[in-house]
Amino acid sequence: MTDTPVTGNRTLHTLSAAAVLAMLAAGAMIFLYAPQDALQGPVQRIFYVHVSAAIAGFACFALVVGGSVAYLWRGGQRWDRLAHSAALVGLVMLTVNIFMGIVWAKPVWNWDPAQTWDAKFTTTVVLWLIYGAYLLIRRFAPPGRAQMRLAAVVGIFGFVDVPIVYESVSWWRTLHPGAVLVTAGGPAMPLPMLQTYLVTQLAVLFLTGVLVALRYRIESLREEQAQRQLAAALELAAE
Amino acid sequence: MRAVRIALAVAQKDLRTEWRGRELLPALAQFVALALVISNFAFDLDRVSGPRIGPGVLWLVLVFAGLVAFGRTFAGEKEQGSLEAMLLTSAAPAAIFTGKAVAAGLVLLACELLLLVGMAAFLGAPVSLAVVAVVLACTVGIAALGSLFAALAAQTRARELLLPVLVLPLWFPFVVVGGRAVQSAMGGGTASGQALLVLLDLGILFWIAAALAARFVLDD
Repeated sequence: MTDTPVTGNRTLHTLSAAAVLAMLAAGAMIFLYAPQDALQGPVQRIFYVHVSAAIAGFACFALVVGGSVAYLWRGGQRWDRLAHSAALVGLVMLTVNIFMGIVWAKPVWNWDPAQTWDAKFTTTVVLWLIYGAYLLIRRFAPPGRAQMRLAAVVGIFGFVDVPIVYESVSWWRTLHPGAVLVTAGGPAMPLPMLQTYLVTQLAVLFLTGVLVALRYRIESLREEQAQRQLAAALELAAE
Repeated sequence: MRAVRIALAVAQKDLRTEWRGRELLPALAQFVALALVISNFAFDLDRVSGPRIGPGVLWLVLVFAGLVAFGRTFAGEKEQGSLEAMLLTSAAPAAIFTGKAVAAGLVLLACELLLLVGMAAFLGAPVSLAVVAVVLACTVGIAALGSLFAALAAQTRARELLLPVLVLPLWFPFVVVGGRAVQSAMGGGTASGQALLVLLDLGILFWIAAALAARFVLDD
């Protein structure tokens, strides 16, 4: 029962190693290939991971919605497991995004959250809190079908905040800079920067996918173990 | 048509229960009065600072009164097991949910009336027609989301703890858009028609989504 390592799966091992390599390659591009920003200096290099982590977080929450809708529609525990795993990884990505944003904003705009409110920051924190609540409801709901059903409803409704976070820079003109990638005249940055961003984005998305898969496997092994224990207990009681 | 009749019957039942028992409204009225007294002391409000701080006080009290109002709607049913009885009938869960949400929304509306009168009378906040319109427009969406998540939280352990954690971040669009609109209305301007439309659109959207989700939340 305990001799199966949690990630005892060759494909997952290979994918994890590949994700680490991809992240290293992205790191090399960020620090060695991308040109220095003329105005902000080296701190601008935060941009690549900051934005990539946000997009990866949004992708995770989209996965939560997909898994939740599929669970409510078709049933099937694996959809719920997918949503649960994606929510966890999404929260990690969003934490990375928020933390890097704060580190970036401090030297560049001398930003102090106690003095100026920023729409992007506030809406992102709200998004974090919504999916934090999603994990809380999984803890407090009665285990089994009810838990999955209630969590699915929260997971779907929570996604409302994602477009608000995305559009917040154009709805409220606060500190956070506007879009540079999706603009009317194409991406507003030099080509080497754009290439670095795209490589980092792909690497982070790949890493995210691997993390979701790992988490999914942990959850399914955990459930398997619980079921085996239950079966063993029943057998013992029958004797 | 049948669904509308069921929803109206459920709403009527809830309001009648409230009228006969007179539990929630007096408690909420006291809550609103207390909140106003505390903010009066805390912020030292007068004619000058009233318009500036007023919107903040309004939303804080409104949101917390809403939490109490919506928390009670499903908690009572759960304690008496009457929700199961209603679900055993052939009535659609969406209709039952809509009825309960309408009743809870009306209770909140009564609170808001009290709150706005109290703010105008004691805090010197300029409560104009524009302010009332914004608050009314917000109530639609707040009631739909609040009732849905109250029904959801009622099925968990620690529902009093979970309801604010669940519903406050989802009320965020109403608090932000409504807050801005009330701010501009109290500052002497008029509530922009666009803000009112956004609030109503969001409200209707959430109302439909909540009614659709009710089947999954109420179904035990």
